[in-house]
Amino acid sequence: MSDVIHTLVPLLLSGLKLTVLIAVVGILCGFVIGSLSGYALQSHSRAAHGIAYFYIWIIRGTPIIVQALYVYYVIPSVTNINLSSTAAGILVITLNSGAFISEIVRGALESVDGGQREAGASLGLTGFQILTHIVIPPAFRSMVPALFNQFIISLKDTAMLTIIVVNEMTQKAMAYSALTFDYVHTYTTLALFYLVLITVLMLIQKLVEKKIGGVRND
Amino acid sequence: MIDVSHLSKNFGDLEVLRDISLSVDEGEVVCIIGPSGSGKSTFLRCINRLETPSGGTVRYCGKDLTDPSTDIRRFREEVGMVFQKFNLFPLRTVLGNVMLAPVLTGRKNKPEARELSIGLLRKVGLEDKADAMPATLSGGQQQRVAIARALAMEPKALLFDEPTSALDPELVGEVLKVMKDLAKDGMTMIVVTHEMGFARDVADRVIFMADGVIVEEGKPEDIFTHPKEERTHSFLLRILN
Repeated sequence: MSDVIHTLVPLLLSGLKLTVLIAVVGILCGFVIGSLSGYALQSHSRAAHGIAYFYIWIIRGTPIIVQALYVYYVIPSVTNINLSSTAAGILVITLNSGAFISEIVRGALESVDGGQREAGASLGLTGFQILTHIVIPPAFRSMVPALFNQFIISLKDTAMLTIIVVNEMTQKAMAYSALTFDYVHTYTTLALFYLVLITVLMLIQKLVEKKIGGVRND
Repeated sequence: MIDVSHLSKNFGDLEVLRDISLSVDEGEVVCIIGPSGSGKSTFLRCINRLETPSGGTVRYCGKDLTDPSTDIRRFREEVGMVFQKFNLFPLRTVLGNVMLAPVLTGRKNKPEARELSIGLLRKVGLEDKADAMPATLSGGQQQRVAIARALAMEPKALLFDEPTSALDPELVGEVLKVMKDLAKDGMTMIVVTHEMGFARDVADRVIFMADGVIVEEGKPEDIFTHPKEERTHSFLLRILN
């Protein structure tokens, strides 16, 4: 038991940092890509629509483990760009979450009543002003729950990155159990770590959802 | 001021408007009446290009608005629109709704826009609701905010698309009163409406539309008391009884 407290917990805590880093950076970059691709999906440009649709098709149609293997092994061998396993992990989470966020963004943009856009247009606003001042505020609010949900999924997906030996929490746990054969303590502790992490996220989600019930005056 | 000539509009194979011509002078109030599906709203929306006309021209002070190189936003800044369903911005306060466009278009800075907006809210009788959210207002109040929002651009003319059709009957009067005041102040207005009393009292001219064409137009007393066309007559009989 003292091994668990003195060795395993510090080990997992060091892995936790990487897990959180990859998940947070990945979901933020994924949000950027997903916003562009989600906007493209509901735009009238056939080319933009086609590119976004192709991207989502690739990601939805392949397992995340295969995506990780592809990013880590195929990209370097084809392009001569060498990615560290951490960088590859961030890229995988980015591309993967981005595809699912596209659909969230598309749905949120489409959920804004067309009358709002028409009201903006009838007041002489530009298309960009209508997007940023009239469409995005309610759209963003409506997608917050789905974005947190994707964040939770992506955070758990980081465990899949053990396949390309990213030194995150699950990888560390596997290494530890391989040395000690203490599967019960190792994986129970690992599961508890994920549970705590996700629970904290869910609490943050509650707070954020409460907070955005606010008012805009300008 | 606004000259529409030979305007047509198709949605696919469906011919919604045919050969519509209409001139509206400055200060004039024109009411468009007619059965549902007659193309009244589509016509109004073609004027500020919320719908793109299929043929014909719309001119504003001589400028051809159907020419794709015309900056339609300039026109929209000068000719506002009020919608059947108000279309207020739900996350902004009443004041935020009214002052948004003058600030974004650079016509006013924030303090000026605020002062103007509060004055307009006073004009429509809602000064005390400046900080309220649209969802907390009645339909009649929301529509009055929408009118104030359109007025905040200091428009030369206003288009009204069935402004009272989504309202409970007891709330219609407060909106019509605001519109009457505007007409009295000399605002140029094109109003698509089912409110025959308003058309009779306020309009300088009444247009009767059916099946995508202007069937008849004239002074309200002529249209309402002795319409020339049988279709106008039967429509008025149905709606007034």
